[in-house]
Amino acid sequence: MYGNAYIDPNAKVHSFLEGEDSSRLATFEARIARGEKIEPADWMPKEYRKQLVRMIEQHAHSEIIGALPEGTWITRAPGFRRKLALIAKVQDEVGHAQLLYSAAETLGKSREEQTNDLINGKSKYSNVFNYPSKTWADTAVIAWLIDAGAIVNQLANSKGSYGPYCRALERICAEESFHLKYGHDNVVFLATGTPKQREMVQDALTRWWPPIMHFFGPSDKSSQHTEILMRWKVKMATNDDMRQQFLNMYVPKIWDLGLTLPDPNLKKNMETGLWEYTEPDWEEFKRVINGDGPCNKERLAVRRIAEENGRWVREALAKPNDRYVTPLA
Amino acid sequence: MIIKSLDPRVDRAQIDEKKEFEGLNDLDHWQTFEVFHQEKRGEQHQHVGIVHAPNAEMALLFGKEQYARRGATVNLWVVKTSDVFCSEYEDSDMFDTTPEKFHRDPGSYKVMDKINKFKERISKEK
Amino acid sequence: MNIEQKQLDALKNLLYKMADDQLILGHRNSEWTGFGPVLEEDIAFSSMAQDKIGQAYQLYSILNELGESEPDTVAFTRNAQQFHCCEYVTMPIGEYDFSLVRHFFFDNAELLRIDSLINTTFDPLSLLARKFKGELKYHVLHANTWIKQLANGNAESKKRIQDTINASFGLALGIFEPSDDENSLIDTGFFIGEKALQSKWLAIITPFLNSCDLSLPNIDDTKPVYGGRKGNFSQYLQPMLTEMTEVYAIDPSAEW
Repeated sequence: MYGNAYIDPNAKVHSFLEGEDSSRLATFEARIARGEKIEPADWMPKEYRKQLVRMIEQHAHSEIIGALPEGTWITRAPGFRRKLALIAKVQDEVGHAQLLYSAAETLGKSREEQTNDLINGKSKYSNVFNYPSKTWADTAVIAWLIDAGAIVNQLANSKGSYGPYCRALERICAEESFHLKYGHDNVVFLATGTPKQREMVQDALTRWWPPIMHFFGPSDKSSQHTEILMRWKVKMATNDDMRQQFLNMYVPKIWDLGLTLPDPNLKKNMETGLWEYTEPDWEEFKRVINGDGPCNKERLAVRRIAEENGRWVREALAKPNDRYVTPLA
Repeated sequence: MIIKSLDPRVDRAQIDEKKEFEGLNDLDHWQTFEVFHQEKRGEQHQHVGIVHAPNAEMALLFGKEQYARRGATVNLWVVKTSDVFCSEYEDSDMFDTTPEKFHRDPGSYKVMDKINKFKERISKEK
Repeated sequence: MNIEQKQLDALKNLLYKMADDQLILGHRNSEWTGFGPVLEEDIAFSSMAQDKIGQAYQLYSILNELGESEPDTVAFTRNAQQFHCCEYVTMPIGEYDFSLVRHFFFDNAELLRIDSLINTTFDPLSLLARKFKGELKYHVLHANTWIKQLANGNAESKKRIQDTINASFGLALGIFEPSDDENSLIDTGFFIGEKALQSKWLAIITPFLNSCDLSLPNIDDTKPVYGGRKGNFSQYLQPMLTEMTEVYAIDPSAEW
C-alpha cells in the first residue's frame, strides 16, 4: 500500500481508457516509452491522474503517520546520539510528507483536501503504522526494516513517469540512507548487547514480522489494469517482486545477528532463487487497514488535534486576498 | 472518552476520541511559494520545491528548514506560485532551433583558405 | 591557562546552567515533533530542538574535559535536585502560544549570553560560543518573526501572545537568577554576570515588543521565579526526567 498504486478489482477494465482522445493518448504513451517525464501541465488520461494522486497522497499520509510510532520514543531515547538521530529521522518523515503532499498538489488536489481525507478515513496509509511501538527496540526494528521496505518501493517508483513524484523521491531517497544506517546500527547494538537488550529486540522483531510481511501488499494478479499502469510507469514492479527483493536483502542480515523470525517456512529455494514463506493473513490486513487495528483511532486522532490546535495560528496569519494556485513542479 | 496510549505525548494531549473533525477549508494551509536555493557562491539559484506560507517572510524561514537543513546552501529566494508566469509544454517546439542557423555556429567561420590564397597572391606580385 | 579552583567551580556551575537549560528546553521543544500547527513549522521547531540538544552535548563535553562525568552519564543519571536549569524550561509545552513565547524569551537571552562569552578568556567556551552564534541567530530570527507576525495577525492571536507574555514574564526572569559564586567569574573577565545579561536582554526585547504593539509587565511588580539554579523545582522536572531516562535506566552500563 505504501507507494503502490491501488487497483480496484471491481473497476471495469475498459473504463481506464474510456473517452480518452486516442491521438493524445498515443503521444502521451510514446513520451513515457521514450523515458521522458510527464509534467503537471501536460495532457494526461483521467485514470493516470487519479491513480497518481491516490498513490502519492497515500505515500504522504504514510510519512506523517509513520512519524508517530517512532516519535513516541523521542522523549525516552537513551543517550545523546540516539536522541539526536531519532529527532532528525522523525523530522525527516514530516519533511517527506510535505514533499509528497506538494507533489500530489501538482495534480490538482489541495493539501487541505488531502488532510481532510486522511483524518476522515477516506484515504489510506501504510497499514504497518497501525500497530503500536511497545518498546525502544520497536523503533530500531521499524527504522531498519520498515525503512528498508520503503526504500525498495521508493527506488522502484523513482524511475516512474511523473516528474514531480520522481523529484520528490530523489530528495527522499537521499535522506533515507541515513535512516537505514541508523536503524541497522540500532538493531546491531541491541542484538549484540546485554541479554535484556537482545531479548527486547528479538521480541520486537517477532511482533513486527507479520506487519512487515504485509508491507508490500497482497500478490498482484496480473490483469489488464496492472499492464496499463506498468506501461504508464505508475506501477514499476509487482508487489511480489518487491517483497522478494526485500527478503533477499534483509533476511540473511537478520539471521546473521542470530535473531529468529516467527515463520518456520521462511527459506530461500536454491533452485528457483525465490523465498518461500507462510502466506500472510490478508484478512487481518484488510480488517486493520479498514480501521480495526490497535492504533488506527489514535493515529488519526493525533493528526486531528494537531490540525485543530494549530487552527488559531494558521487563521491569524491568513490574509483575505490570498490566492491558491496549483503548484508548478 | 480520553485516548489512553503507550505514547506519553498522546496521553498528555488528552484527546477526546469522540470529537468530530470539522475539516479544513480552502487556504487553511495558506498559499504556496516556490523556493530557489543557491548551493555555493558563484552558482545559479535552482528551484527546489514549494512551501505553504502566509507571506514571503515566513516562506523564507520555512524554506530554510525544508530545503536547506542538510547540505550546502548560501542563499534562498522565494516567489509566490501565483506570480510565476509559465510557458506551455505544448509550445515547447518554439524552443527548437532549426539546424540552418549556421550564422551562429562558430565552426561555420573558416578563413584559412582565403588567407593562404591571399598570401600566395601577394608573394607572386612581388 | 591557569584557572584557580574557586573560579573553576564557578565556571563549571555556569556551564551546567547553560547545558541543563539547553537540554531541558530542547527536550521540551522536541515534544512538538509531529504535533505542530503546520508541517513547515513542525520541521522548523524540530531543527531548533536538535540544535539545543546538540549544544547541550557540547557543553557537557567541556564539563567532561574539566573533570565531570561523560555527557550521557551527566544528562541521564541525575535527578531533579541535581539539575541547574531554570524553572521556566521545565514547564510542559502547553499550547503553541506558550512555547513560542518561551522560545522568544529564552532564545533572545541565550543569544546574548553566548555573544558575551565569545570573548571570554576561557578558550574552549569562547570557541563554542562562536560556533553556537550562527544557530542562535536563526533561532532568534524565527522567534522574533513569529511574535511579530502573530501580534499583527488577528485579535485572537494578539491577545494570546500578550496574555502569555504577561503570564510568563516572571518565569523568564528566572533565567537570570544570580549565582552566589559568579563574582569570581565577573572579576576575572570570564562572564559578565546575570544582572548585566538581564539588562541587555530587557534593552533588546522591550523596544522589539513595543514595535509589535506588545508590552512587558512592570518589572517592579513581577516576582521572578527563582530556585532552579539551586536545584529547587516545582512539580514538572522530575516526571520529565523519569520519562527521559526510562530506557537508559534499564541498564546504564549498556551501550545503546
